[in-house]
Amino acid sequence: MEPVLDTEIEVVTPENVAFSYRLAGPFPRAAAFVIDVAVRAGVLFLVGLVVALFGLFSLIADALAGAGFGFQAILGMGLVLAFVLEWAYGVAFEAFMNGQTPGKYCMSLRVVTADGAPITIGQAFLRNVLRFVDLQPVYSGVLGLLSAAASSRFQRLGDLAAGTMVVSESRARQSRLRIDDPRAAELARELPKNFQPSRLLARALSDYVYRRRGLAPGRRREIASHVAGPLRQLLQLPPDLDPDLLLCAVYLRTNRDDAAAGAASVYGVSGSRTAKPGPPSLDQVLSGIQQR
Amino acid sequence: MKPTEFLEKRSSHWEELEGLLAGRGAADERAAARCERLAFLYRAVCADLALAQAYDLPEPTIRYLHQLVARSHNRLYRSSGVPWREWAQIFFHDLPRNLRSDRFAAASFVVFWGCFLLAMLTAYLSPAQAEHLCGREQLDMMDQQYAGLHETGRSSDANALMMGFYVWHNTSIGLKGFASGLLFGVAGIPTLVFNGSFLGAVFGYMAAGPHASNFFTFVTAHGPFELTAVVLSSAAGMRIGWSLIQTDGYARTDALRRSTARAVPVVVVSVLFFILAALIEGFVSPSGLPYVYKAAVAVASTLLMLAYLLLGGRGGAAAGEGVRRGT
Repeated sequence: MEPVLDTEIEVVTPENVAFSYRLAGPFPRAAAFVIDVAVRAGVLFLVGLVVALFGLFSLIADALAGAGFGFQAILGMGLVLAFVLEWAYGVAFEAFMNGQTPGKYCMSLRVVTADGAPITIGQAFLRNVLRFVDLQPVYSGVLGLLSAAASSRFQRLGDLAAGTMVVSESRARQSRLRIDDPRAAELARELPKNFQPSRLLARALSDYVYRRRGLAPGRRREIASHVAGPLRQLLQLPPDLDPDLLLCAVYLRTNRDDAAAGAASVYGVSGSRTAKPGPPSLDQVLSGIQQR
Repeated sequence: MKPTEFLEKRSSHWEELEGLLAGRGAADERAAARCERLAFLYRAVCADLALAQAYDLPEPTIRYLHQLVARSHNRLYRSSGVPWREWAQIFFHDLPRNLRSDRFAAASFVVFWGCFLLAMLTAYLSPAQAEHLCGREQLDMMDQQYAGLHETGRSSDANALMMGFYVWHNTSIGLKGFASGLLFGVAGIPTLVFNGSFLGAVFGYMAAGPHASNFFTFVTAHGPFELTAVVLSSAAGMRIGWSLIQTDGYARTDALRRSTARAVPVVVVSVLFFILAALIEGFVSPSGLPYVYKAAVAVASTLLMLAYLLLGGRGGAAAGEGVRRGT
């Protein structure tokens, strides 16, 4: 099967498992950058506010007046702080927080090397210092955007020089593939025992069941009818059977071990543990469906 | 193996791993036990992912497992700390040696000082040319600045402010000069030419003017560090930019990555020199010390840099190899 055309990069871990990272494009990264700028400005603002409001500067000035320092010295320290925040903020966070600055953490992004390994300090230094070029011309970010568009891993110029990429770490929730319709279970029991869908069909059925939650009943019937038609002919079922129901039943048949089916399993063990009356016949099930 | 069986059996493990990743664990568990459990669950989830892919399980499950493995992988394989020994090896042994054979540093040095001396000579001999190079307002500002003689020097207060300003302003210029060198190695040269000519013209003009002694009293002390830092940061920028042109058979991005290995230590050293220059420029240059001491600072800093450049990394290849093998 051909690889999917998507923004995913495959990485082979030392455990010899190939998993895919989802790459982060320019827009989440721009948002993370804005958050970082806001954080830095906020820190400077807060420091200035604290110093000014609580009259700290006068306290410090008194304490340091012996050494000849005063308010201007604090301004000088403020300038050094501004310098550190401008150039060393990104380097420190990416190197010591495993590739995440506060902005990237908010957007669930992470910087990793181009082959999935964690980032080193030298790489963090390079990509942050070279951000100046990516922001050209005149702080518009066009060069970085062009570079990200041209690169196969959304790498801006700083990423290209450092050999890094930014991946998205959003959490996918474990989805439950559940069918609440009891008629599907009944129909599943009635399907011929020797009918085993191929893997491809099973996969398609699970995709369908996952997606049918968000579809209207009419739409479900329309989509299901493509596969349900041939299946109906194969299994010799009545033509007015709901296609959506049929696909759900086949899915259940494929993916759930129905102990009450009473069928002998592959290993020769009887499936039913409790003595139940024989399952209802297909006619009974279908008449029951049509009555509702 | 039916998918739903698989999901039901393994769900509890996946949820436990999620909990560990989020920092939740049994309250009475020690951190070491948690680590072991995380590693065990990570290996199990890797196996689950391989199984899921082999059995063609539903797409959402496989996607979920991909994400889980990726997050655990990032948690387990973290960035390592600061490699102090490696850094010491680079800065005290490799870097001086590389600088000695660094043609970009040599080119940067020649371009900068060539423009500087040429402009200085021109401005000294002809103030009109100085005006062409610098602009009337700049020269007037310089005249005003150095008109008053600092007998006792500024207060430490103002010194601290100016030091902060120089750290921020000059180092930013250096780092930006390095970054703009990426634009094909050419963007560094105009900066060098401009800076060299401008500074040279200022020096020449002030030397021919009435406030020469004030001017040189101020600039002597921090001159060596600052000018060397400008040369070095531009040289590093030229190196990474030129690698895009002369790729030695590599793809351009790979050539760029290879050149950064030699360029980054040079930038870091230039930042260090900028900060030292800012310290001196903030506290020593404007002080009331006699000129002799300031000149001594300049000479000392020059000798220090020369010693680093010429003697560093000369302990012999054997000493360097020994350290590398030991780490």
